Amino acid sequence: MSDATMTAARGNPALDLLRRYGIWVIAAAVMIVLPKIFTSGAALTTMCLMGIMIVFSLAYNMLLGQTGMLSFGHAVYYGLGGFLAVHAMNTIAAGKLAIPLPVVPLAGGAMGLIFGFIFGAVSTRRAGTVFAMISLGLGELIASLSLILRGFFGGEEGITANRTKMLTLWGVRFGPQIEVYYLIAAWCFACMIAMYAFTCTPLGRMCNAVRDNPERAEFVGYSTQMVRFITFCISGFFAGVAGGLAAINFELMNAVNISGAQSGVVLLMAYIGGIGHFVGPILGAVLVVLLQVFLSDLTGAWMLYFGLIFITMVMFAPGGMAGLIMLHLPLWRRGTLLQIVPSYAVMLVPVLMGLAGLVTLIETSHHQLVKAATDGPAMKLFGIAYNSNSLLPWIVALALMGGGLYLGKLWGPRMADAYSDAAHGQDSNKREAGK
Amino acid sequence: MTALGLHDVHKSFGITPIIRGVSLEVGKGERHAIIGPNGAGKSTLFHLISGRFPLTEGSIRLNGEDITGLKPYQINRRGLSRSFQVTNIFPKMTVFENVRCGVLWHLGYRYSFWHNTRKLKDANDRAMAILQQIGLADRAQLPASFLTYAEQRALEIGITIAGGAEVVMLDEPTAGMSRSETAHFVSLIRKVTEGRTLVMVEHDMGVVFDLADRISVLVYGQIIASDTPANIRNSKAVQEAYLGQALESHGEAEH
Ligand SMILES: Nc1ncnc2c1ncn2[C@@H]1O[C@H](COP(=O)(O)OP(=O)(O)OP(=O)(O)O)[C@@H](O)[C@H]1O
Ligand SMILES: [Mg+2]
Repeated sequence: MSDATMTAARGNPALDLLRRYGIWVIAAAVMIVLPKIFTSGAALTTMCLMGIMIVFSLAYNMLLGQTGMLSFGHAVYYGLGGFLAVHAMNTIAAGKLAIPLPVVPLAGGAMGLIFGFIFGAVSTRRAGTVFAMISLGLGELIASLSLILRGFFGGEEGITANRTKMLTLWGVRFGPQIEVYYLIAAWCFACMIAMYAFTCTPLGRMCNAVRDNPERAEFVGYSTQMVRFITFCISGFFAGVAGGLAAINFELMNAVNISGAQSGVVLLMAYIGGIGHFVGPILGAVLVVLLQVFLSDLTGAWMLYFGLIFITMVMFAPGGMAGLIMLHLPLWRRGTLLQIVPSYAVMLVPVLMGLAGLVTLIETSHHQLVKAATDGPAMKLFGIAYNSNSLLPWIVALALMGGGLYLGKLWGPRMADAYSDAAHGQDSNKREAGK
Repeated sequence: MTALGLHDVHKSFGITPIIRGVSLEVGKGERHAIIGPNGAGKSTLFHLISGRFPLTEGSIRLNGEDITGLKPYQINRRGLSRSFQVTNIFPKMTVFENVRCGVLWHLGYRYSFWHNTRKLKDANDRAMAILQQIGLADRAQLPASFLTYAEQRALEIGITIAGGAEVVMLDEPTAGMSRSETAHFVSLIRKVTEGRTLVMVEHDMGVVFDLADRISVLVYGQIIASDTPANIRNSKAVQEAYLGQALESHGEAEH
């Protein structure tokens, strides 16, 4: 996202065009081709969810990463957008209105924008902790309203719609999931471009200024409150669009979609992916959806793993996945990326050891606490059958974790050295040591 | 014509009076220095003028218009821009962007989310010209936090003048700089404030007597003298209250 004005001035214009737009062409190609590679129904549903969550987490990161506003209630705009989209679909179907399905997410976006405007006017007056607390309060308020206002929210069961009952264009009725996928992909792509473009606008740049140093921003003519407010509205719009896409995808919206848990998930996605880079939330959305889908199949304790991943990220990689990638970009440019592979590979041993120990510990405890009462103590993990109430698995788990930790501590510095060698050349270690 | 006028300005923090009745007129195009001992309230006075703190009493006019009680951004939009004693930049953004942030509002781009900043030739050219002026053109694409102290001080001034404000206020622009850096800075300040009104807080008497058309001496929240450099130098009251020591230490440093 750094300014390309300087670099753009020199060099081949065709190459420049490729550098600037090439990534979008690749993104579009990937989105088009993906369902041809992963053809199963499960894969398709997963990818639809990814598309929706990419839009939502990018919208969220307009606040968190770009403007430095930590919101605990962004599902409000996603959920309200989704609910309105469901109602819109039902109204259109009932009235046989000449409105095709692909524009329905706009209704969701409008809803997100309107409520972003209303709630933003209140919450963006303050930044920092106060903003975070207000967002939490508003989130809880709307979440509890969603169970009370049954007419609009449908209570516990939520509200359903039928996306195929709309005006059909060119014979596309959006019955099959693949058609919905391409609808979501198209919206996702357009939203990605729009939100990236936003980062390049005067307001988008001032968002970063307000994040970095709100006081100074006021002394160059900008009201930080106004910057936050407008950005909040725009973010609400895109969150609403994501909600509208979700409504189309699931043909159902319920209280979960507007709950604090949903707000938490989008925060996790943005953070795990990396809030400091535009691609971060995209990576985060993809990874978290994958984890949600696969981990929840594999283990009942998947939420715990999810939390552990989040904590690990916060502690050891605050830049998220995007941050880790960016850390290695200079190595790629220097041509020294391969040089660090051996030392990283060595680190895999303690990491895998520690992980195996941790998983054994969690799974055995989980079995013992949740399933043992009904299914008995016998269980199976990594293809090995054992008794969860015998002592051995616990000892093995702790030994693995301890060993992993020990080796990690032992070899960690060597990996760090290898990295800085690759990043700055051999002399850097001496300089570090000299400080 | 008065660019900046303070009328009986008071400021107390809690019950402690810090500024105790300051009245001051700075003419258009004038270079005005405010000097005084540590803790006299010079920075506080800057904060009051630029809207960072509300006044306890009194009023401030900018180009004849009352700006008392306005927000910093409103005052900035009316053509008053200030720098900070402690460097106050956008550390994660590039040097170029730091300066462009100072430009955008004043070229009318405001809260636009429909312009692409890469294509804003006027804003980018102006930012680049400022960078050239302050000697940071070759640092343009570096994050601002990577700059040396002196470079950050230069950037601080770059951001301040970028919007083209008529009244520029610099709070100890040369603080903490070496002699050669200071000399460079004085010519820089002279260059970039050409045709503007300058109000400056400065401890280095060499810089003050070199740059200022008029000098005000602030002691314990009150202006005890406001006059030409020559008269200030010869004033008995100023000698006693402040300048005696300041000039002495300045003289010592030179030997
Ligand atoms: N926010 C504040 N709350 C309470 N007291 C303050 C505040 N800001 C400044 N002061 C006090 O006001 C007095 C004047 O401070 P100020 O920073 O204006 O002095 P100064 O003349 O700029 O000094 P220096 O030359 O050291 O920069 C000091 O005694 C300081 O402790
Ligand atoms: Mg001061």
